[in-house]
Amino acid sequence: MSEPMKIRDKTVLKGLGFDSFGQGSNSCEVDVLDGKIVRTRPFDYNYKNAYDPQAKNPWKIEARGQVLEAKEESLLCPFELAYKLRAYSPNRIPFPMKRVDWEPGGDPDKINAQNRGKSKFVRISWDEAAQIIADEIRRMESQYGLTAILAQCDGHGETKSIHGPHGCQTHLLQLLGNYTQQIRTPDSWEGWVWGAKHVWAQFPVGQQRQVNMLKDICENTEMMLYWGSDPEAMCWGWGGQTASYLATHFDKLGIKNVFISPDFNYTAAAHPGKWIPVLPNTDSALQCAIAYTWITEGLYDREYIDTHSIGFEWFESYVMGGIDGIQKTPKWAEEICGIPSRIIKAFARDWAAHVTVISHCNGGGYIRSAYSHEPARLEVVLLAMQGLGKPGSGQFIYFQWQLFGMESTNAGPRSSIIPSIEGCYHGIDQAFIPESFIPKTLIPKAILGDWSEENPLRWHSFTHCSLPASDQFDEYRYPVPGASTIHMIWTDTPCWTTCWNGGNEMIEAARSPKIEFILAQHPWFENDCLFADILLPVNTKFEEEDFADDLLNGFYNHIFYEAPAIEPIGESKSDWECVLEVAKKLGVYDELTEGLDYEGLIHRGWEKSRCADNVSYEDFRKNEYYIIPTAEGWEDDEPGLHAFWRDPQNNPLDTPSGLLEIYSPSLAYNFPDDDERMPYPRYMQDGESHQESRFSERAKDFPLVMMSNHPRWRVHANMDDIPWFQEIETSKVHGDDGYPYEPCWINPADAAELGIEDGDIVEIYNDRGMVLGGAYVTPRIMAGAVNQDHGARLDPLEFGKSDRGGANNIICPTNVTSKHCAGEVTNGFLVGVKKADMDALRARYPEAFARKFDPATGILVDDWIIEGGNE
Amino acid sequence: MKVFVIDEQKCNGCHNCQIACKDEHCGNDWSPISAPQPLTGQFWCKVDERTVGQTPKIRVDYHVSRCNHCENAPCMAAAENDTVYRRDDGLVIIDPEKSKGQRAIMEACPYNAVYWNDELDIPQKCTGCAHLLDAGELPHCVDVCTTGALRFGDYEDFADELVDAVVMKPELGCGPHVYYLNTPKPFYAGDVYDPEADECIEGAKVTITRGSDGARFEQTTDIYGDFWFDGQELGNHELSIEAEGFLSCTKHFDAEESLNLGSFPLKRDY
Repeated sequence: MSEPMKIRDKTVLKGLGFDSFGQGSNSCEVDVLDGKIVRTRPFDYNYKNAYDPQAKNPWKIEARGQVLEAKEESLLCPFELAYKLRAYSPNRIPFPMKRVDWEPGGDPDKINAQNRGKSKFVRISWDEAAQIIADEIRRMESQYGLTAILAQCDGHGETKSIHGPHGCQTHLLQLLGNYTQQIRTPDSWEGWVWGAKHVWAQFPVGQQRQVNMLKDICENTEMMLYWGSDPEAMCWGWGGQTASYLATHFDKLGIKNVFISPDFNYTAAAHPGKWIPVLPNTDSALQCAIAYTWITEGLYDREYIDTHSIGFEWFESYVMGGIDGIQKTPKWAEEICGIPSRIIKAFARDWAAHVTVISHCNGGGYIRSAYSHEPARLEVVLLAMQGLGKPGSGQFIYFQWQLFGMESTNAGPRSSIIPSIEGCYHGIDQAFIPESFIPKTLIPKAILGDWSEENPLRWHSFTHCSLPASDQFDEYRYPVPGASTIHMIWTDTPCWTTCWNGGNEMIEAARSPKIEFILAQHPWFENDCLFADILLPVNTKFEEEDFADDLLNGFYNHIFYEAPAIEPIGESKSDWECVLEVAKKLGVYDELTEGLDYEGLIHRGWEKSRCADNVSYEDFRKNEYYIIPTAEGWEDDEPGLHAFWRDPQNNPLDTPSGLLEIYSPSLAYNFPDDDERMPYPRYMQDGESHQESRFSERAKDFPLVMMSNHPRWRVHANMDDIPWFQEIETSKVHGDDGYPYEPCWINPADAAELGIEDGDIVEIYNDRGMVLGGAYVTPRIMAGAVNQDHGARLDPLEFGKSDRGGANNIICPTNVTSKHCAGEVTNGFLVGVKKADMDALRARYPEAFARKFDPATGILVDDWIIEGGNE
Repeated sequence: MKVFVIDEQKCNGCHNCQIACKDEHCGNDWSPISAPQPLTGQFWCKVDERTVGQTPKIRVDYHVSRCNHCENAPCMAAAENDTVYRRDDGLVIIDPEKSKGQRAIMEACPYNAVYWNDELDIPQKCTGCAHLLDAGELPHCVDVCTTGALRFGDYEDFADELVDAVVMKPELGCGPHVYYLNTPKPFYAGDVYDPEADECIEGAKVTITRGSDGARFEQTTDIYGDFWFDGQELGNHELSIEAEGFLSCTKHFDAEESLNLGSFPLKRDY
């Protein structure tokens, strides 16, 4: 043995989850040596042996001869292990920058909006940047009123408290008096919110109450349906590999798995079970055919339906052909969903014969597709037909337990405290409803349309996912009376184009002269940053000091102190500090900081964490964390919807009738003419809002259906530049030009027909534009469908038309979920795929192909900075 | 003697081990045990992903490969000046100082587990994170394996489990110290149905007879009419399907890989 060498100078704790909104997860121990991050390790729940290991009241679930125990350390995923490369990314914005041909003041000739994305940037000082921003805010105020300023500040990213990250600017704008807020729509829960909520309410997001579902499943479940859900991919950013650990335990219990998804996903790859490939967003046809089988074979619980629901007869009549003359037989469904009718029948019987849970992880399958309210509602109806709420049945959400700090979203053993970071949080306050707001899905339309007080843009719902279903009956407008249309955007979430619906239209909006000033603050030069006029460089959390919680890990809640691991890179500041720089120039710094420094904020964070009675501030700072014990008596909480199953009269749902509303009188009353979301659920093929099915006219030109899930090797648009991921075969396909193209999964049969070989660069196109992809020919995707994850970094070939990076949100439908549902549609849309003629593309887009890129990371900020700056 | 034990059935393909290795070694200098690994291009611990079968009957196999810290290490034999040495715990280390220019060390490895660092002009590979072991910690890849698929420790502690373990390329006689459990074998699958009734046939008897040694494997189909034979060998086979009330069906196949043998319609025996 050689002499032990120094492997670290210090260890700091960091929560590297991606929920944001003050809801932490993925806690890590980060080792630092010589001022550099050397490694990231799991967080030991007995760190420093600071507390008696038994004091956290370790939980276990014993059932069927197996024991499921809380782990003693966080179960990390690759994201945390590689995240330091985000801090050290060559694509970090190094200093404040101004677009070279933009001048403040609003003069249309000096804005050069048409050059956004094209023209380069010059370095400016922090002082100059803050002054320009402050002056522009004051100009907006005097010229239009403060509602002319749109704050874009939602979405997932690093999870911080003092430093936001999303929404720090709203604290300043609220102090100044007004602004317009972009409201996040239910993104990964669209169908649950717009559809399922009308059937079963289920606060907050329309997914089933989760209390003690983990224990219930361990004890009683016989079959688990992974209906588009992929815990081996989609849960990583919200608790690492806890979901994988649970899925493996369910396997050990002998629970039978069925994977219903167009792809043989990463969970199917790692767990035993039956794969039933279904064409993207045709699940509702399959669901209707299952109901048909159950009705015709008497395989459902009619008594439960009679006592627990209203309006089943509407659905029954629809399924049996009484409404439109079409019986929803398995043979009928086969043509639509691509599953042989005999397998649909076998599946329906298999389900009816087993106590079954349907698992979800958000964002998969149908939930972000056109008319997503239909399959979501149908799922609830099918669960009801099998006695929803009986032991071991219902819906199971694999992650985001304690979402919004609520008990009802926690499937695991109850914690004695759900901690909070409210005492020092500077991010967006999701409960705050500003007077002027626009749903995120309608931003391009709001900017590009000719709206006024007399002719406003109208929609229904405040659109935040956590509101009751009745909110969807309220109409809202932009601009609100007395308010301005928007003329300035302040974004700390510059990834609209890579995460939302119809990104090409957003690019057009960003390049509109109506917007006089776009301010973006972000650590990396990526995505919407291309269209900014001023760019502020932001820290990663490795460079910051903060107070944090971890409540999504599934084992133990905790609060902890995050010491800075490294010095700020370049001239970067935190999101909060960026806002403070502007506040100084506006003369409101002291008001905004409330006179508290970081030490003061951390103290207040502890004070209001709900843990102050359990751990003194001195002990908290000395130990750097406090681990919260599991609640006594958690085992006795009645699971899921068991109480409703047992006695619906005394344990009603939050629907108007208290029962499952398979036919919703509220929908019928409020939207009597809506033929896209009718009062009862059904198979919805094409309509006025969308023609994305294989039976639409458009399918003649665009015959394949694109499945675009939340990615395995990113969290939405986060981490696309991590070279260690890009080396993984399912992460990127490197072209002959060395460029990292986003993989496009194609079935060997389709590939042969299209003359495409594995590794070819392909064009993925429709009438909304084109993105490139790297062909990944694999039997893991069914014929007729292609699969390309969303969130690849924007690298436009032609603005508003085509993209080299594979940012496929630019060719998603622009229209919202359906007429009265302002949700996003980013999955299950029609495309054509062909082998790209790279020489022709290079000749056509010489500038785009001349952009510098690093084969290990992708496009680089260097290429956008004019050397020497303006000094 | 330290060994790595990899249970391929437990591996969920997350790649934590591959990424952890890069976290520990890329840009980090642990001399005299190892010089920094370049940012990309080297895989001291590598996860390979292989999809076998045909839609919809497929399987994804994950295989972790790394330096085997061989008992009879060819790299050691190829090295000059005792550049490659074995520690008391059995780990094989390439001295980064002495190894300069010695391409033979890389070329000698039959497992392609030694990489060449152009910038430093040295061969590099897994050290078992010897610098962490000396500080009382586990190799980083092992520390972050969440499934228990990748373990590290003394051979004696695993001995009972290693009875059925395999090593890579045993025929070379290198004596690898990386042991694999539950390595995947070829499968043959398919399904059986009644086209007249448009129903899956449950309970059909499916037999596969291997040509090479006449070994027979029998299964009955499940509710989906599915059969799935794991643990098979490649080569000539005879498949036969019998179900009550149906004419039997046989098929000969010569497999070079795992196969979805397809959907078998059975004719009614009137």
